[in-house]
Amino acid sequence: MSPATRSILSLLGTRGVQVAIGPFLVHVRSELTGVRDYLERFYDDFPMAEGGEGHFDLAVVAGRGMRRWVRPQASIVINGARPFLPLPALLAGASMEWGMNWCVGRSAHHWVAVHAAVVERGGRVLILPAPPGSGKSTLCAALVCAGWRLFSDEFALIDPDSGRVLPIPRPISLKEASIEVIRRRDPQVVFGPEAHDTEGSRFVHMRPPSDSVRRADESARPGWVIVPRFMAGKPTTLERLPKAQALMQVTDQSFNYNYLGPKGYTCLAELVRETDCYRLEYSDLDEVLALLARVTAS
Amino acid sequence: MPRLDVALDLRLLVRVLRNPQQLQDLSPREFSRAIDAAEQSRLLGWLLAHADAGQVSPECPQWLNDRVTTARARAREYERSIRWEIDRLNRAFLGVGFRWVLLKGAAYVAAALPPGRGRRVADIDVLVPQEHLVKAETALREHGWEFAELDAYDARYYREWMHELPPMVHSERRSVIDLHHAILPQSSRLHPSSARLLERSIPISDDVRVLCPAHMVLHAAAHLFHDGEIAGAIRDVVDLDGLLRCFGNDPEFWSDFVREARALQLTRPAYYAVRYADRLLATPVRSDVVSETSAWGPVSPVRWLMDALVEKTVHGRGTPAAALALYIRSHWLRMPPFLLLRHLLRKSVRRS
Repeated sequence: MSPATRSILSLLGTRGVQVAIGPFLVHVRSELTGVRDYLERFYDDFPMAEGGEGHFDLAVVAGRGMRRWVRPQASIVINGARPFLPLPALLAGASMEWGMNWCVGRSAHHWVAVHAAVVERGGRVLILPAPPGSGKSTLCAALVCAGWRLFSDEFALIDPDSGRVLPIPRPISLKEASIEVIRRRDPQVVFGPEAHDTEGSRFVHMRPPSDSVRRADESARPGWVIVPRFMAGKPTTLERLPKAQALMQVTDQSFNYNYLGPKGYTCLAELVRETDCYRLEYSDLDEVLALLARVTAS
Repeated sequence: MPRLDVALDLRLLVRVLRNPQQLQDLSPREFSRAIDAAEQSRLLGWLLAHADAGQVSPECPQWLNDRVTTARARAREYERSIRWEIDRLNRAFLGVGFRWVLLKGAAYVAAALPPGRGRRVADIDVLVPQEHLVKAETALREHGWEFAELDAYDARYYREWMHELPPMVHSERRSVIDLHHAILPQSSRLHPSSARLLERSIPISDDVRVLCPAHMVLHAAAHLFHDGEIAGAIRDVVDLDGLLRCFGNDPEFWSDFVREARALQLTRPAYYAVRYADRLLATPVRSDVVSETSAWGPVSPVRWLMDALVEKTVHGRGTPAAALALYIRSHWLRMPPFLLLRHLLRKSVRRS
């Protein structure tokens, strides 16, 4: 970490730090060391500045009174609102990530946002829209380890005017057995501290590749929409998804297309019109990586 | 280490509410803080309407531009979704054979009144004749709305003492409807005639009706000063201001307002509405109406106390004691003392 970054981060508990994350400026403040640890470990490739403004104003504050010492807590305050119950202070760093997810999913209506893992290769974007629990993030991490550029493990952000997809590379969240699966595939990957989330699942955040972070301002055209589903023990199958069904899937997984009115709907209709759409069932990562390499090469 | 300041800037919001011209002098950072405060006070629609009047500077940075675009999309979606719910409600009530009238937020949106712009409406309030309450309830059930689970105390609280049924929630869309048979609780000392409210209501489209202007203002006032909690009530004051400015140009309105305040026994809330809208947001009120309603105020000590409490609370400077005093007061007005004591005890036991 550079001395400049270090000196900027020393302002975290007072004026705060402005981090550029993809197309967003995020003003982060926190008096908790967990948040600083996360920023040092995961964000030193990101442009940072001193100061206090941006798309989102995100503060992770310590509990009051007894809660500073007895089972200490962390509360997330986003633009003056507290959308979540306080969490154990141990989860302060992770809660910053969850807070940012909440911001992007709920407060970025200048883009159409779809819940999806998104990677790029050769100037074409692969969008994997799916509900939680479909193995989206694991597949995303494996693709990134295999050389795809990370856009996001959570959001496809589409510019409704140009139809281009915007990268928002951030730490990838892995859960339970996926943690070891990815660790085995790439021993170089940097992980954050392991912890249990509010649902009791073991999770860890994975550092985004430096190259993806440095190229965060390079948008690209969508190439494929593939709806993934992890099915333990099942053989890998890939079948064409009719466009109408693909449209149903992406609107279903969109956080906000309705907020953009007809423009939002048209944007998603254009997305499926312009891409090759498939449904994917898989259990073996090596098989699925080989298959995706083949399909996206043609 | 000093604690981080994460509070909303309500003073800034009150400043621009009083003087919307100031919006154009705000720095990007202040404008962003004003969006935050407006959103949490449910006044995003107000802020955007005034910003739309050409008051956002053209050299606004990209991040703020994006925030404003997002805020506009949100306000539009609030309004669109409430219009859709009103449409569904209209369908549920098709051919029921009694008059039903939208109240408060949903009415402002339906009638395209200033307080309805970009409004976030949490509950749709509907007034129906008491004798048709069961029929209305049945119609809503048949169209997907159902009662949330209540414990026996809450169920009794609603059925016996309140002027509305417990909230009904739509099983798929989660929209909430409050069915009212009166605008103030049965246990309150004031009983504005629901028959008169329904009788003089005006149609918007198809069977969708709203209260007549005078009744709408009186209801907003009764709600603000008698029914709800005054704490965090900036929005309710802005509603009153918006309605009075909108209707006040019509000379008929003021004579109606004074006559209907008497007819509905709502002279005290009418007095407060005139007094505080003028004091807080400099709402123009005709001078003869000010003098006519001044006779409807409380005795001086009570008036001094109310002045101090209201100004403090509305400006977000209210001490917890001031908010508590107003909360007890609003309940005092709607329940006899014995019931009130029981209710407050019950609530305090539950909160702890």
